[in-house]
Amino acid sequence: MVTKRRASPPPEAYLPLPPATFHILLALADEELHGYAIMKDVAARSEGTVRLCPGTLYGALKRLLAARLVEEGGERADPERGDERRRYYRLTQLGLSVVRAEARRLDAMVRAARRKKLIGVRPA
Amino acid sequence: MSAERIYRLLLRAYPPEFRAEYGREMVLLFRDQCRDGDVRTVGFWARVLWDVARSAPALRAEAWWTPGRENTRTLEVIMKLAAMLTVLGGVLGILNAGVEWGAALTGTIGGMHSLSLVLGVFASALLLAAGAAILRPTPRGRQAGRLALLASLVLFIAARLLFPWMSVFSQLVGIGLPAAFLIALYWPSKATPSGAV
Repeated sequence: MVTKRRASPPPEAYLPLPPATFHILLALADEELHGYAIMKDVAARSEGTVRLCPGTLYGALKRLLAARLVEEGGERADPERGDERRRYYRLTQLGLSVVRAEARRLDAMVRAARRKKLIGVRPA
Repeated sequence: MSAERIYRLLLRAYPPEFRAEYGREMVLLFRDQCRDGDVRTVGFWARVLWDVARSAPALRAEAWWTPGRENTRTLEVIMKLAAMLTVLGGVLGILNAGVEWGAALTGTIGGMHSLSLVLGVFASALLLAAGAAILRPTPRGRQAGRLALLASLVLFIAARLLFPWMSVFSQLVGIGLPAAFLIALYWPSKATPSGAV
C-alpha cells in the first residue's frame, strides 16, 4: 500500500517567529531539555528579559509539536533535580532549519541597522 | 491552601484536552518555580495570574477552531441545527411559492412572475435537499449539500432578478441562508504554517 507523505512547508514559511517561540527553539538547539530547563535557559540567555511561565511555555510547545518543529524525547528524571520523571523535548530537522532561517533573518536586520548606524559597530 | 493547590485550580481555565496532556508537566514546573522563587511575593502571583489570563483564552480559542478537537461535537450540533433550519427554509419557500401561485391564479399573473415562482420552487427544493444532505455526516453528503446550496443560491438570485418585488423574508431565506451556510462550510479549513507556531 502506498501512503502519501505530506510535504513540510519550507522553513521560511514559518517566519517570523514570535520571540518566545524563537527562544524555545534556541534553547533546544544543542540538547534536549524538559520544560523547567527550557524556562531557565531562556531566562539566563535573555538576562531575565524573557520570562516564560508554564501556560505560555506549554502552549508554545504544543504548537511546535503540532507543526513538527519539536518532538518529544521521552520521559526521565532530571539527575540535577532527582525527583519525578519529566518529559523532554528536542528539535526536529525541520525545527533546526526554521530556527536557522529565523536567526539569519534577524542577523540581516541587525546588519541593516548597523549600516544605518542605529546600533554600534561590531567589535573586531 | 497550598500554592500548588491554588495553581491546580487555576489550571481549570485551560481546555480539558490541554490539561490532560500538559497539566502534570505544568504542575511540576510550577513546583520548581516555587522551590526556586519566593512564592509569597505579590510579583510571583501576578506573573502566574498574567500567564493564565494570557495563555488560557488563546488555547481555548485554538481548541474551538481546530478541527477534530473538543469543538467537534459543538460544531456538529451547530451544523445540524443550521441544516434543520435550511430544511425548514426550503419547506417554507415551497409553501410560500404555492400560496403565491394560488393567489395569482385568481387574478392576473405575468410571465416573469410565474417564471420566478417556478425558479423559487426549484430553489426551495434544492435548499431542502441541501439541508437533508448536510444532516448526513459523510463527506459525500456534505459535498452534495454544498452543490445544492450553490445551485439554490443561483436560482434564488435569478428569481429575484426576474421578480424584483420578492419579499424581504423570501430574500433572507433564499439568499442569506445558503450564502451563510456556504461560508460556514468553507471557512474553518485554512491554516498557515506561521499560524501553527
